[in-house]
Amino acid sequence: MNSAPPARGLPGARYPDRSPGIGRRELLRYGTAGAAALLAAGPLTGCASPARAGEASALKVWDLFQGGDGMLMDEMIAAVSKGSDGFDVDRTILDWGPSYYTKLAMSAAGGRASDVAVLHLSRLAGYAPGGLLDPIDLDVLAEFGVGEKDFAPAVWKRAQHKGTVYAVPLDVHPFIVFYDKDVADKAGLLDSSGHLAPMGSPEAFLDAGKKLAEITGTSGVLFGHVTDTAQSWRQFAALYAQTGASFTLPDGGPPKIDTDAAVKVVTFMKQLFDGRTNPNNLDYNGAMAAFMDGRGGMIMAGEWELPTFRKSGIKHLGAAPFPQVFARPAVYADSHSFVLPHQDDPDPARRRQAHRYIAEIVKQSLTWASAGHIPAYLPVQARPEYAKLDPQSSYAAAGEIAVLDPPNWFAGAGGNFQNRMCQPLQSALLGNTSAEKAVRQMVREADTLLRQPNPVA
Amino acid sequence: MTTTAPAGAAAPPQPPSATPAAPRRSRSLTRGGGLFVLPFLVVFALFLVWPVVQGLWMSLTDASLSLRGTEFVGFANYTEAFGDPDVWSSLGNTVFFTVISCVPLVLVALAMALLVHSGLAGQWVWRLAYFAPYLLPVTVVTLIWTWLYQPDIGLGNQLLTSLGMEPVGWLSDESVAMWSVAALTVWWTVGFNFLLYLAALQSLPVTYDEAAALDGAGAWRRLWSVTLPQLRHTTVLVAMLQVLASLKVFDQIYILTKGGPNGSTRPILEYVYDVGFTGYRLGYASAVSYIFFAIVIVVSVLQLRFFRQEG
Repeated sequence: MNSAPPARGLPGARYPDRSPGIGRRELLRYGTAGAAALLAAGPLTGCASPARAGEASALKVWDLFQGGDGMLMDEMIAAVSKGSDGFDVDRTILDWGPSYYTKLAMSAAGGRASDVAVLHLSRLAGYAPGGLLDPIDLDVLAEFGVGEKDFAPAVWKRAQHKGTVYAVPLDVHPFIVFYDKDVADKAGLLDSSGHLAPMGSPEAFLDAGKKLAEITGTSGVLFGHVTDTAQSWRQFAALYAQTGASFTLPDGGPPKIDTDAAVKVVTFMKQLFDGRTNPNNLDYNGAMAAFMDGRGGMIMAGEWELPTFRKSGIKHLGAAPFPQVFARPAVYADSHSFVLPHQDDPDPARRRQAHRYIAEIVKQSLTWASAGHIPAYLPVQARPEYAKLDPQSSYAAAGEIAVLDPPNWFAGAGGNFQNRMCQPLQSALLGNTSAEKAVRQMVREADTLLRQPNPVA
Repeated sequence: MTTTAPAGAAAPPQPPSATPAAPRRSRSLTRGGGLFVLPFLVVFALFLVWPVVQGLWMSLTDASLSLRGTEFVGFANYTEAFGDPDVWSSLGNTVFFTVISCVPLVLVALAMALLVHSGLAGQWVWRLAYFAPYLLPVTVVTLIWTWLYQPDIGLGNQLLTSLGMEPVGWLSDESVAMWSVAALTVWWTVGFNFLLYLAALQSLPVTYDEAAALDGAGAWRRLWSVTLPQLRHTTVLVAMLQVLASLKVFDQIYILTKGGPNGSTRPILEYVYDVGFTGYRLGYASAVSYIFFAIVIVVSVLQLRFFRQEG
């Protein structure tokens, strides 16, 4: 870079107080040189800090696991990094939510994404068709001992787009209920083996809520949904699937939904959270705090809250699949899976390593199960150590009746669809609108999304 | 991202320099000074001018976050945006927020500055107390207020119920939520306007005030007829900055309510974010942000005209 032009035209007398040491030009010249040196050093130090990770051999992995999940993932990565053929993993943890998916899409669109990334299976329809994911090579995966037979069919099916497999599921994480065994026992809700007895009907569940509230003296069933962009949808989707009706989002619209069944479900939700025996105005943290405080006998939450509840000191914590109150069993769930984000020019050796990494990590999922997740890899589920995990094994069956979001590019975890469904549902639960109106708005919102030009088609 | 465009582009124009510099002097400025401002110009061009141009182009295409190719679609995005009820409702929310936040943010700041300037004891305590919230990051402020607004255990409802009043759905009642956001915003940011007013008050010549006092004017008369007219320029500045800042509202709402309940607090910038980044539709999001950009410019120009007439 050129320094300042020579200032010949300017008589020195104009700068009477100019010091003889460093003048303006010198300052500029040294300053420029200094800045250049700093700029040159920047990238070097940038590379230097994660020394091991910066090497060509390190496998770049992106995930969204923080807190307890994040530590378990660390443990699993440590387990596969041991030994002579252990992996050298460069892990990047990003904040979960819409921003994670934006970043993942951007990195894949740029063609220089990480080697492996975590994706909710419910988001696959927004990534695979747009070319943001590269297909999994099943032959290579089979070489490392993992294949279709190792996964529940319902989950494996959602890992595909037009018959091609794009993801390898790590877990199934359902929306379940946690309960205080002592309170539930006093309310007479436990069976002879000390587990939550089946409900069987909406009336039985409403009754159970009232009984639990009598014992705690405050609330029965807790549910945090205010200002949340997923909770009400999770609950609705579970109950709606229990009615046996289906909700599909065909491209171009209109959405296919059984409005009678939907109104029945929302009406039931309103009855359950009537604002008296069951508070209807809690947000997520408020509901969590209330349950840990003993101000409710049962909470509807994701199984991923297990470590938090364990730490809270609830003496006898119980967990069960989402209660069946309508015609058939169903639970809302999603699945963390491993994908290969699109790379413009993938190195075949690295790709092979990526497949081996995925295979090795899913085999480690017993560790993962300790946080509450149901391992998607069936051989781990079959192990006696898993059966011993309590209460995890008590809801392992949830994986078989799991219902994910209807597939479309805008649906899925952290997507706009869940948010838009939650808004009218929240309104209904708060008593601001009727069940019929809420369902009408849900249909309208889904239709609006379907009419948008598909950006990934 | 194009959404930052309105702020920079609509900043109040600088007054023209009063005296033109001597020719020799200006040449020396282009030589030495040009080099000094070059880093800024590069950053300005790279991160503001270029994205603004790029965003305009994108708004005429169906650009998306996927690997699919981009096609020119003309004004299709704009046509869609004008017929999109969500654009209008979120725009309405933004305007509503701007109105209910700007008025207290100017008046409360003025009142606080006058109180402090009136010579209360322990000046530094008041200055610190009024300005301190402004130093907190948005996440901290929002976290504090989320708990204050908790329906069950929050301080707000605890106070109301202890006074025998009905609890309020601060963030869950559609007719209340935006007011809750505005209250948080006033508490958080009023300190900045307060500081501007205080600085202005302290630089006012005391002679007018003294003369009015000698003529027998009471404290209120002096406030209305002497102090406030002298603060007019500051009020113009504060009001303009405040309107622009309120129009740009996003962070606290995104963290506090995610635009809920039922979309009642979703500002236009969150809609742009939702459509563009969560929904991948970059072209459409650019079009919506350009419509907003145009509105901000119109508002700024109208405001400038209005205040000039006043002057």
